[in-house]
Amino acid sequence: MPVHFIDTFIIIFYMAAILIFGLFFRKYVSTTEDFFLAGKMLPWWVISFSIIGTNIGAYDYIGAAGGAFRFGIAQANYEWLGAIPAMIVSALIVIPYFWRNNVYTVPEYLGKRYQESVRTIEALIYGFFLVMLLGIFFWASGLMLHTYLGWPLKLSIVITAVIVGIYTITGGLAAVAVTDVVQLGVMFVGGISVAIIGFWKAGGVNEFFVKLSSTHPQHLKLFLPLDNPYYPWLGMIFGLGLVLSPAWWCANQAIIQRTLGARSEWDAKAGMLFAAFPKTLVPLLVILPGFFALMFASPSEISNPDQALPWVIKNLLPPGLAGLVFVAFIAALHSSVDSTLNSASTLWTRDIYQRFIRRQAPDRHYLFIGRVLTGCFVIFGVLLAPMTDKFPGIYVAMQNLLSFFQGPTLATLLLGILWWRSTKWGGFFGLTGGVASAVVMSLFRINFLYVAWWSFVVSVLINIIVSYLTLPEKPEKLRGLVYRFIERDKKAQEILRQKVEG
Amino acid sequence: MNFFTRIPLFSAKIITVFLYLLLAFWVLRKPKSFILEGAPAKKTWYDLRLWALILIGIQIVLYFIF
Repeated sequence: MPVHFIDTFIIIFYMAAILIFGLFFRKYVSTTEDFFLAGKMLPWWVISFSIIGTNIGAYDYIGAAGGAFRFGIAQANYEWLGAIPAMIVSALIVIPYFWRNNVYTVPEYLGKRYQESVRTIEALIYGFFLVMLLGIFFWASGLMLHTYLGWPLKLSIVITAVIVGIYTITGGLAAVAVTDVVQLGVMFVGGISVAIIGFWKAGGVNEFFVKLSSTHPQHLKLFLPLDNPYYPWLGMIFGLGLVLSPAWWCANQAIIQRTLGARSEWDAKAGMLFAAFPKTLVPLLVILPGFFALMFASPSEISNPDQALPWVIKNLLPPGLAGLVFVAFIAALHSSVDSTLNSASTLWTRDIYQRFIRRQAPDRHYLFIGRVLTGCFVIFGVLLAPMTDKFPGIYVAMQNLLSFFQGPTLATLLLGILWWRSTKWGGFFGLTGGVASAVVMSLFRINFLYVAWWSFVVSVLINIIVSYLTLPEKPEKLRGLVYRFIERDKKAQEILRQKVEG
Repeated sequence: MNFFTRIPLFSAKIITVFLYLLLAFWVLRKPKSFILEGAPAKKTWYDLRLWALILIGIQIVLYFIF
């Protein structure tokens, strides 16, 4: 089906506008703090929208709509139980400790709290993961432009890389965060338009739910039985709700980094907390299209659940609106790519280059390296993109691989903040032992939700046992880093307040 | 796992709501001075505990409905 010229115009206009808008922020970057932390000037509302823009990727649109088409509203657990409680915990426990310690990365905090080896392990895990993700993002973006507009695939990948690369290299986190706000706006306009058209075609919201509950009653249940291979309720609560989701929202550099660039501690906390409001509405964007496909498409039209959303765009939306929804996809991808690029650059510059390659150098040198690394990751991502096609399971494999680390990372982080007795060796063996246990469990083909939960438990136990077997850390080392030496310590509160106020 | 298969599906909702209530209780126990640290003003709407409780309330309603 040829693309209407209005749709093409909307897509090209969006890409040009986002590039110009992103470039505007280059004049605000003169130090590493400007580049990696937006000069610590971000207000809470920019942080909020940037967090959600980063969190929603194009894969979420397609995969979540497919999940909703197949299993129903249980897919929304990833947006509700699998996000909201963790965001509250992140805002009120984790973020204040990061922000007050003036760290640039999550591994940097772990290095201060435990020891440098813990920092290195975490930095390598997340640094590697973020860089690998870039290839997948670039491939998905190029494939979209190629499929929808008919542009050559390689050219489409390069166009995406050039647009996002230029404004991320020049404007750093400020450009990334502010363009994320625009991109999230585009996503919501596109998503809500689909919802309105879908409800209108169904005869209204009430009519829609009455029809859906009569034809597919199981699709309106948030919890599914334990024999469901993808969404067993026990795994959803304990694996997703208590481990994977807090690990994502508390320890993922790409998510946390914008809160570290907040202009005040309150803005950092409020940014994460307010992000939970648009997050609550995300199912409108990603779940409803799956339901519309279920209601309006004949079974022969959709053989693969991931075709649910493309079917809705192709068959339900008029010209102009189809272009807008397509732009929402591109915006979702761009907002994930730019954040991943900036965070990968921060991790590799601060936690690897600055510690192992050149320790004492002027700030402008690290700014230059941050930009060079961003450029290198763009090129690496472009070169890696075609590999995604050769290994189609690469995204799932990356996600499964990350689930090995998320439980132990969360255990190490939470014990580090909440339990003063956790020692540097407790942290080290808890992290490595937890990861080893996850690898062993995965050999027995246990569902990744349960692997996450049990590797978290193992990590906590090892951390506690080793900590009791080793000497406690000195209070001077822990001051400002753990609950006991911050929230309950009035002297520490005063010192930190003075430090924060400069 | 056999033990868990005998638990009715409805208990998933009860556990979830219980966890949300636990979270609400924990949020309420956070000292106001910590919550408002760095806030532009000490007004009610800057109290992040209120934001968190609204979010938890919305979640409990959603998990009751579905």
